[in-house]
Amino acid sequence: MISRSEIKSYLSKEPLFDDMTCSLKATTRQPAAMIKETRKIIELARRFNKEVIEPYALELDRTMQKDPDYLPWEFVKKANEWGFFTLWIPKIFGGHGYNIPSLSYFMEETGSACLGLSNLICVHYLAVSTIFASWNLSLISKLCRLVAQGEKTGVPCLLSTAITEPGAGTDVEEVELVDRGKVACSATKVEGGYLINGSKVFISSGHVSQWHMVICYTDLKKPSENMIILAVETGSKGFSFGRVEHKMGVKGCPASELIFDNCFVPDDLVLLSRDHTGKQKRGVKETCGQILDYVLASSRAGVSAWGAGAARGAYETALDFALTTEVNGKTLANHEWAQSMLAEMYKNVCIARLTYIETNYANGMYGLFKTIQMKPLFYYFKYMPMILLDKFAPMILNLASTTWLFRKIQLDWQSDPEFHRTAGWGSLAKFTGTDMGMKNCQMALEIMGQSGLRQDRRAEKILRDSKLLQIFEGTNQLNRLNLFKCLVAKNNPMIKVFEKE
Amino acid sequence: MLSEKETTIIALEEDVVEFTETKPTPPAPKKEAKSVDVKDVKIAAKKTAPRTSKKELTMLAKAASEFAKKMLAPNREENDKYPFGPFFEDALEKAFGVDFFHIILPEDMNGMNQGMSALSVTLDNICQEDSSLGGILFTNAAAQELMIQAGSKAELERICSKETVRDFLIALPVFNNPSEVKHLAQAKKTGDAYTLSGSLEYMVLGDLAGQAIIPASIAGSTRYSYFLVDLKDKGISKSEPILSLGLHACPAVDLELNHVKATLIGQEGKGSDYFEKMADRLHVAAASMALGVMKGSFKEAFDYAKKREQGGHEIINWSEVKMILSNMAIKISNAEMIIEKACKAVDTLEAKWETRSRAAALHIQDMACDLTTDGIQLLGGVGYMKDFGQEKRFRDAKHIQALLGITPIKKITFIENMI
Amino acid sequence: MVAHAQRSPFDHAPCFEDMTSSLQSTARQPKGMLKETREVVALARKFKEEVMRPITLSMDRQMQKDPEYLPWEFVRKANEWGFYTLWVPRIFGGKGYNSPSMSYFLEELGSECLGLSNLIGVHYLAVVTMFATFNIRLINKLLREVEDGQKTGIPCLLSLAITEPGAGTDVEEVELVDKGNVGCQATKVEGGYLINGSKIFISSGHVSRWHIVICYEDLKNPSDTMLVLPVKTGSKGFSFGRKEHKMGVKICPASELNFEDCFVPDDLVLMNKEQNQKNRRNNKQTNSQMIDYVVSTSRAGVSAWGTGAARGAFENALDFAINTEVNGKRLVNHEWAQAMLAEMYKNVAISRLSYVETNYANGLCGLYKTIQFKPLFYYFKIVPKIVIDYIIRPIINLPVTTWVFRKIQLDGQTDAQFHRTSGWASLAKFTGTDAGVKNCQMALEIMGQAGLRQDRRAEKILRDSKLLQIYEGTNQLNRINLFKCLAAQGHSQVRVFEHE
Repeated sequence: MISRSEIKSYLSKEPLFDDMTCSLKATTRQPAAMIKETRKIIELARRFNKEVIEPYALELDRTMQKDPDYLPWEFVKKANEWGFFTLWIPKIFGGHGYNIPSLSYFMEETGSACLGLSNLICVHYLAVSTIFASWNLSLISKLCRLVAQGEKTGVPCLLSTAITEPGAGTDVEEVELVDRGKVACSATKVEGGYLINGSKVFISSGHVSQWHMVICYTDLKKPSENMIILAVETGSKGFSFGRVEHKMGVKGCPASELIFDNCFVPDDLVLLSRDHTGKQKRGVKETCGQILDYVLASSRAGVSAWGAGAARGAYETALDFALTTEVNGKTLANHEWAQSMLAEMYKNVCIARLTYIETNYANGMYGLFKTIQMKPLFYYFKYMPMILLDKFAPMILNLASTTWLFRKIQLDWQSDPEFHRTAGWGSLAKFTGTDMGMKNCQMALEIMGQSGLRQDRRAEKILRDSKLLQIFEGTNQLNRLNLFKCLVAKNNPMIKVFEKE
Repeated sequence: MLSEKETTIIALEEDVVEFTETKPTPPAPKKEAKSVDVKDVKIAAKKTAPRTSKKELTMLAKAASEFAKKMLAPNREENDKYPFGPFFEDALEKAFGVDFFHIILPEDMNGMNQGMSALSVTLDNICQEDSSLGGILFTNAAAQELMIQAGSKAELERICSKETVRDFLIALPVFNNPSEVKHLAQAKKTGDAYTLSGSLEYMVLGDLAGQAIIPASIAGSTRYSYFLVDLKDKGISKSEPILSLGLHACPAVDLELNHVKATLIGQEGKGSDYFEKMADRLHVAAASMALGVMKGSFKEAFDYAKKREQGGHEIINWSEVKMILSNMAIKISNAEMIIEKACKAVDTLEAKWETRSRAAALHIQDMACDLTTDGIQLLGGVGYMKDFGQEKRFRDAKHIQALLGITPIKKITFIENMI
Repeated sequence: MVAHAQRSPFDHAPCFEDMTSSLQSTARQPKGMLKETREVVALARKFKEEVMRPITLSMDRQMQKDPEYLPWEFVRKANEWGFYTLWVPRIFGGKGYNSPSMSYFLEELGSECLGLSNLIGVHYLAVVTMFATFNIRLINKLLREVEDGQKTGIPCLLSLAITEPGAGTDVEEVELVDKGNVGCQATKVEGGYLINGSKIFISSGHVSRWHIVICYEDLKNPSDTMLVLPVKTGSKGFSFGRKEHKMGVKICPASELNFEDCFVPDDLVLMNKEQNQKNRRNNKQTNSQMIDYVVSTSRAGVSAWGTGAARGAFENALDFAINTEVNGKRLVNHEWAQAMLAEMYKNVAISRLSYVETNYANGLCGLYKTIQFKPLFYYFKIVPKIVIDYIIRPIINLPVTTWVFRKIQLDGQTDAQFHRTSGWASLAKFTGTDAGVKNCQMALEIMGQAGLRQDRRAEKILRDSKLLQIYEGTNQLNRINLFKCLAAQGHSQVRVFEHE
C-alpha cells in the first residue's frame, strides 16, 4: 500500500510522528512493573494525605500568616519518617528506586491536598534531578547516600537547588537569555576549589535543606559558557541564610535567600564545570543548555503535576460544596449550570494530567530517565538485593570511567530532536497544567460565593497557592516561547527565538 | 419640530414599504419622492449639528432599524450568496437614498454633518439584520474620513456630488493597516502628476465603487502616501470578487495596477498619519458593528430557546442554557454602555477619546466572537445551517474583528501609544 | 510500606483506572499497533498531499456556488485507496487495521479538509454502530458488500441516521429520549417492519448505499422500543429529501432521509427488544450501553477532527507568520506571535492527548477490548485469508457467535468500565472540538485580512470546525455526560438530565 521509504519520509515531516506519539511508543517499551509501582505510590500518597496533610494543611497556612518566619520542621521530619526523601532515589544510590514518573502522580496527589507541603517534599527532587543531570556519579552517590543516612537517623537531609538571583529570574532559566541578564553570583577559582560570592533568592526549602546545589558563573560577563554547579552544605563558612520571603501562598514551604560571602567549595564538590562540559560532543554553551533542559524537562512535568493537583483540589472542594449546599431549594450539584462547570473543571484536571504523563513518556524514552527505564537495567536494579548494591555500587560509581560512560550515553547520544522533544513537552506540560490549576481555582471561587472566600473552606488557599505555579520553574510566558523554540521553530533558520527586539 | 421628524420617519417607512412590495420587479428609483425624504432627514440633523441629540439618535436608530428589517432581513440568506448569487442592489440604492452614506459628511457636501454617535447607531441597527451593508457603510465612511483628515476637500466634494451610489462610493483596503503589513502599490511622480503600478490586495468595494483610495509608496521614500484613483481606469484590472469568510455582500477584490493616473490625497508620506487619525475615530464604529451582530445573534437564540423543546421542555428551562443566554445578554449590555460612552468621548473630543474608541473596539470585537459562537451553539444543528442567520453572524463577527488591521497588533499598538 | 489490608484509597474518586489508561496499556496493548499506526499516518499524509490538497479549496468554492453538487468523484477516489475497508476487521473482508489508528488518520486528513475527511470517517460511524449491536451475521453481510464495493470500484458507503427534525440532543441520550419529540416509527408487520418518518442532518446520506436507521416502535416510549434497521438506497418507500446548506463541511452532504411505509424484513434487524432480552441488562440499559459504545468511539474520532482543525489552523497561521513581514520584521519573529503560536501548538497537542487517552480506555474496557486482546489481535493479523473465507465465515453466521460476542462485550462490561469510556469520550469530544474552534479564532486574529479570504484557507477551517462543537452531541450535552459518568459516580444525591 505504501512503501517503507515513503513511510519514513512522510513521518519525518512536521509534525514529527515521534513528537505526536510518545505514549503509543512508551506502552510498548516501558517496563510493565511501572504500573504496579505507580499504583503503590498513589495509594501511599492518599494515605499520607489523609493521615498527615489534610489535618495539618489549613492550620499551617494559618500559622504562617500569623508568624511568617515559622519553619515547618515537624512536617519535614514526618515526611522523612515516611521515607519520601529517598523513595525516588535509585537503589544503587541508597534509595528505594521507585520509577521517576510515579513521582509526578505523587505530586498531583499530595498537591491536591496542599501545594505548600507537597513542595517541601518534592523540591528536594528538583535538586536530585539537577545532580543527576550532571552525571557526576561519584558525587551523586555521595549526596544521595547522605540523604539515605538522614532517613535512617531521623535527621532529615534535604537538598535544594539555587538558581534564581535578585537580578535574574527568567534569564537564568534559559541559556539564550543568560548572557543578557544581570547575574551576580560568581565562583572564583582558587587553589583546591572555588570561592562563591553573591546571593540567591526564592530558593524553595532553602532554610530546611542540608545541601544546596548552587548554579554560579566563573565569568559574569559570559555566564552561558562559564556555568558551574557547586554543592554547598548548610553551616559552611561564608554561607548564611537571609530572609524568608513572605509569600501570598505556598506558605508551608519557605522561599529562602542564600548569601555567599567568600564561601569556599573544594574541588571534589564540583558537580559540573567547564572542565567537564568542554569534554562533551556539543559546545560548552550547548551542553549547559542541554543539562538545564534535562532538569527542566523533568521538573516541569512535576510542576505540571502540581497544577493538576491544584486543579483537582479546587474541583474537589467545589464538588463537595455543590453536593452539600442547597440553592433555590435544590442541591447545587443538581443544577445543570453547576454540572457543566464541574465537568469543565474535571476536564481541566485530566488535561493537566495527560500533559505531564506524556512529558514523562518522552523523558523515559529520550530524556533523563532513559537509562534507568531501559528494561534490563530497570529490572536488574529492582530485584538486585540491597546488600550487594550497597557493597559494590560505590566502587563502580566512583570510577571516573563510569561518569564518562553515563555522560556519553545521556549527553552525547541524545539527538537534537530528542532533546527538543523532551524540553518542548516539558514546557507544554508546565504552562498547560499550571494554567489549568489557576483556571479551576477561579471557577471554584465563582461557584462557592462567600464560602470560597474563607480560609477555613480551603478554596481561597488553593487559589493563592496555585498562582505561584504559573511563575516558578520559568514563567508560563517563557515556557510558551521555549515550546515554540523546541517544537515549532526547531532548526528553521528563518525563525529567531529569544532575540532582542 | 417634533412633528416634522415624525413625518420624516413615516415618509421613510412608507417609502420602504412601497419599495419592498414592488420588489420582484423594482421600478426605476423615484427620484423626486426620495429627495423629499432625504431633505427632511438632513434638516432634522442640521439643526443640532455637530452634536446629535438623544432624540435624533433615537430617530436615526429607528429609521435604520426599520430599514434593516424591511430591506435586509427578508433576503439575508439570498444576499449572503454573493458572489454566487445576485448583489443586493436595491437595498444599497435605497440606503443611499435615505442618506446613510452621508452621515459623517459636512453640510456643504450634502452631508448630515454627524459624528460617530450617529454613524454607530446606524451601523448597530443595520448589522442586527445584515452586517454586509454595515461593512459597505463602514468602508465608505472610513474612506470619507480619511479624505477629511487629509484635507482633500475638493476631491471629496467632487465625489459627493455624484448621483448614483456606485459613482459615489469610495473603495478602501479597510482590513489592513499599510504600515503593519506593507500591501502597497508603487507610485511614480512625473511633474505634478502621479501614476500607480503594482498590485494591491483586498480592496474592499473594489468592484462596486467609482473610485478607490490606494496606499502606495513613492520610490525613495520609506513612508507611504494615499492616492485616489478612478476605478474605471484602463490600467486597473480587478480579480473576481474574493470569496471570504463573512460580509459576503461587502465584497473585496485584488487589484493589478498598470500606470494608473492617481491624485495624491493630502501630503506625500503622510499616509500613516491619516490612517491612524481615521482609525482613532472609526474604531468605535467598528465596535458598534460588532454590537449589532451580537444583538442579532442573541435575539435569534433567545427566541429559539423559548420555542425549541428537548428533554420534554423548552430548552430555555435548562439552567445551562439560561447561563449561556445570560452571558450573552451581559456582554451586550456592557457593550452598549461602552459604545455610548466612547461615542460621546469621540464626538466631544473628551480627553483620551482616541483611547476610548480603540479600547471599545478591541474589547467588544472579542466579545462578539465569543458571543456568536454561543449563538450557534444554542440552536444546535440548525444554527450551523444557513436558515437562521446564526452561522452568518458567527462569520461576520470574526470578519469585523479584522477591521483596520491585525488584532494582536492593534492591541500592541494600543499599549505602545501609552508607553 | 503500604498496608494492603486497609480500605483502599481508590475508593475515593478519581479511581486509579480512570486516571491511567495510557499507563495501563503498557505491555498490554499489542506492539503491532505502533507499526500499523506509522503506516496509517504515512498513508494519510500521502493521500492528503496527492489527492486532497489540490481540490480542497476548489471543492469548497464549488459547493458555495452549487450547494447541490455531490462529491462522487472524491468518494470513488477514497474507495480506490481502500479507505472504506481499511479498518474493517479481516474476518469481515477488510484490511483489519487497528481502530485507534483511524483517529490519527482522521486528524491527518482533518488538518487538510474536514469535509473530505468526513466523507471517509462517517462511514465508520455507521460501521461502529453495527458493531455495537454485535449482530455478527448482519455485520458480516453488510461489510462484505462494502468489500465488494471496493473491488468493483462502485463505492458502498454506510451512513448512520439518528437525528430527527424534532430531536437532536435528545436522541443521543437515553435519559432524554423519552421526554423528547421523536417521530421516526417502525411498525411490526408480518415478516418485518414498516418505517415511517424522517431523519435529518445525515452525514454522507446522499452518497451512501446503506443507512443504519435508529427508530422506535412506540413513539411514547422510545427508550424501551428502540430498533436498529439497515435500509438500502433504492428501497421502496425510502427517498432522499433536501440537502442542507451548511456554513462549512460543505463537501460532505447533510441529507434528509424520508421513509414512507418503507419495509425492512426481519432478517435485517440489527437489534430490537426481542434480541436484547437475552442480555444481562434490561432492554433500556442495553440500548443505552449500545449508544455509549458507539459514541465512546465516534466521539474520540470527532475529537481527532477537532485536533485536525486545530492543526490546520495552526499550520496555516505559522505559514503566514513565516512569510509575512509586519512592521519591518517577519511576523514569526515577533514574540507575541510566538506565544500565540505556542498556545496553538499546545491546543493541538492536548486535543490529541484527549482522543489518544480515550482510545486507550476503549481498548482496555470498551469496544476494542476483544479485538485488541493480544492473542486475537495477532491471530487475525496473520491468519491467511483463505482460512477466513472457508472456515471462519461460516462460523460467523451462526447465532451462537452473536451470542458469545454479546456476552463478552455487553454483559462483560462493568458499569465502571462503561462510565470510563463514555465519560472520557465526552471529555475528548468537547476538549478537541473547543480547541479546534479556538485555534481557528486565533489564526484569523493573527492573519488579519489574509485570514478572511477563502483562498487562504483559514476562514474555511473556521467555518468547518464550528460543526464539530455541535454534532455527535453538542458540547453542552457532552459536559453533562462527563459529569454523569465521571464526576457524579458514588454520589447518590446527584440527578442528571432531570426536569428542572
